[in-house]
Amino acid sequence: MPRGEIVIFDQHCKGCGYCAKFCARDCITHPSGRYSPQGYILPDFSAPDKCNACGICAWMCPDHAIDVYKLVEAEVAA
Amino acid sequence: MAVKKEKVAGGSDLWIRPEFAVIPSCPGCQEPVVGQLILEVVEEMGLDGEAIVVPGVGCTTFLPVIWNMDAVLTAHGRPCDVATAVKRVTKAPLVFTVQGDGDCFAIGAGPTVSAALRGENITVITMSNTNYGTTGGQMSPTTVTGQRTTTTPEGRGEMQGHPAHVPELLGGIKGVAYTARGAVNTPANLQKAKRYIKEAFQKQLDGAGFSLVEIIVACPPNWHYTPIDCLKFIDETLLAEFPLGEFKNVDRVEQPIPVPAQ
Amino acid sequence: MGETLFVQGNEAVGHGAMAAGCEAFFGYPITPQNEITEWFAREFPPQGKVFVQSQSEIASINMVFGAAATGVRCMTSTSSPGWSLMQEGMSMLSNAELPCVVVLVQRGGPGAGTTRHSQMDYNSATRGGGGGGYHDIVLAPASVQEQHDHVQLAFHLADKYRNPVIVLSDAILGQMAEPLEVKALNYNSLPAKEWAVRGRDHQSDGQRRLILPAQGFMPSKAYPNYLTFVNNLDQKFKEMRRTEVRFELQDVEDARVILVAFGSLARVCQGAMEMARGEGKKVGLVRPISLWPFPAQAIRKLARDGVKFLVVEDNLGQMLEDVESAIGESAPVHFLGMLARHEAREMGMIFPDRVLEEINKVY
Repeated sequence: MPRGEIVIFDQHCKGCGYCAKFCARDCITHPSGRYSPQGYILPDFSAPDKCNACGICAWMCPDHAIDVYKLVEAEVAA
Repeated sequence: MAVKKEKVAGGSDLWIRPEFAVIPSCPGCQEPVVGQLILEVVEEMGLDGEAIVVPGVGCTTFLPVIWNMDAVLTAHGRPCDVATAVKRVTKAPLVFTVQGDGDCFAIGAGPTVSAALRGENITVITMSNTNYGTTGGQMSPTTVTGQRTTTTPEGRGEMQGHPAHVPELLGGIKGVAYTARGAVNTPANLQKAKRYIKEAFQKQLDGAGFSLVEIIVACPPNWHYTPIDCLKFIDETLLAEFPLGEFKNVDRVEQPIPVPAQ
Repeated sequence: MGETLFVQGNEAVGHGAMAAGCEAFFGYPITPQNEITEWFAREFPPQGKVFVQSQSEIASINMVFGAAATGVRCMTSTSSPGWSLMQEGMSMLSNAELPCVVVLVQRGGPGAGTTRHSQMDYNSATRGGGGGGYHDIVLAPASVQEQHDHVQLAFHLADKYRNPVIVLSDAILGQMAEPLEVKALNYNSLPAKEWAVRGRDHQSDGQRRLILPAQGFMPSKAYPNYLTFVNNLDQKFKEMRRTEVRFELQDVEDARVILVAFGSLARVCQGAMEMARGEGKKVGLVRPISLWPFPAQAIRKLARDGVKFLVVEDNLGQMLEDVESAIGESAPVHFLGMLARHEAREMGMIFPDRVLEEINKVY
């Protein structure tokens, strides 16, 4: 079960590629062949299962186009 | 079993971003990365409602314009003069400038050095991209020797002097409590840069004296590199010229300007 | 009745600023206004008010920009060469719509000129020396008392129009001493400065404030585009022209020669006028007090048949152009300028008897 998840906001991304470069687990690939509304080449969260919510992709993103979430198993209320 | 999502990283809420608004910077420009670090530190210190940011003129101007924080934009090179007055008049806990290397070390050298000589309790955050970005990539104080710009077509040489090392330069001034230089070319350097910003802001809160943090940032369009190659240019060339780290760190300068108790 | 002192004009500026509730002063040494900076250095810190000696006049005007942005009454003072360095700042203040007062104690020009008197900054004060074509109200005191009064009026007008106001003095007015009645002049109240920067949580509506010298360039609620901003400036300057013209007329009703002079030269002309009247000559005086907006209409009205005008200025003819454009062809306009000083060295002055001599020539 992946311990993290990212959301990429296509309309904010400018296709710089930092997220893909700095992801230590290669969860993100760039270029993805998809384009943002502004015509920038988007990245892909291509290997979500390897994500551990370290947050580095969001740190390095100049356009704050990535939110990173940690997935925590919540005990089901008894 | 339910899965709870907890946000651990992402853009600060202090960015004023209407629905589809893009950050006003070039693809791969790292200035908004530094902007984010500033916002994170200000938020962690709980000061975003008290802080007054004083941007100069250049690429960095467009960041504080979209921050949910009181701001006073100035003429080119004048943030340290303006911030001096804002701090002395309002006695706000956090008054800091956001500048580029041209704004702070060229046209703003007078105001910057004079504020340091007066030991003003302000913090200067300067992003050095080694050129004048908004005007199309001319030489700036941190352009390195041999680097081509639109005003050094053959590369910076003996007719253009040497790259400016201001954090080191200001260290010798009595009124200066803290100077450091960081970069955001790697996650590790990014976290150090954030710590330098926090340290500088803390000096101001403590009334320790003048603080300045310079941060090297990538500038793809005017370096004529892809964003990824810009990082290589920083690693191989810029960091060889500009050592990172703290150059001065004292708890209190001699006879600091008294700051009312927070 | 306020306290009466015997002080220099420069010091009267300080008393006027204090009476007006000025909270911050930023200055840089330059003769002949140093007594102003020194007064604030003595008087402001003990009152918990801000005094900073800056590193240049560019710094002073930009510190004024910063203080004004926070909504406090603030000012600087300088002399002609320092005034040259303030032009960019004046242009920025006008765009950012920031109220402040600048006291300009003129000295000889151009360039370093002399450290003595002159009226050679008339044009740069009334036309605006920085980029962009803005205007500042320019008040011209002619006495120690008026320097104290005009500084208070300047603070009111600056807040009223959210624009800098210039008080145009000179080395004679600044250095001479006369009795001064120190009293706070009251004006009708003005709205609170909701636009000022204080820190977001200190704003009445909790909304961030943004002061910038590029209004119109960056769209805002108030100015969605550039021309809406420029139109605002146009309305503001038109309102100033309609409402803030000030001048003084002396013995003009029957006058055949009307002198036009401001500041220290108006005092000289009063002397000449009295001597001429003593010799039975019908001479009057128009003293512009607001150099901008210039009292053109008031002067035009005086241009009846047979009346001649004699403009007396301690420069080579600057207000002269405003008088000429006000009067047009309807009456002859003569000029007596600084070349009529009683001696060639920079201390030379245009004396009343020299003005009388010119009156007799044109009469």
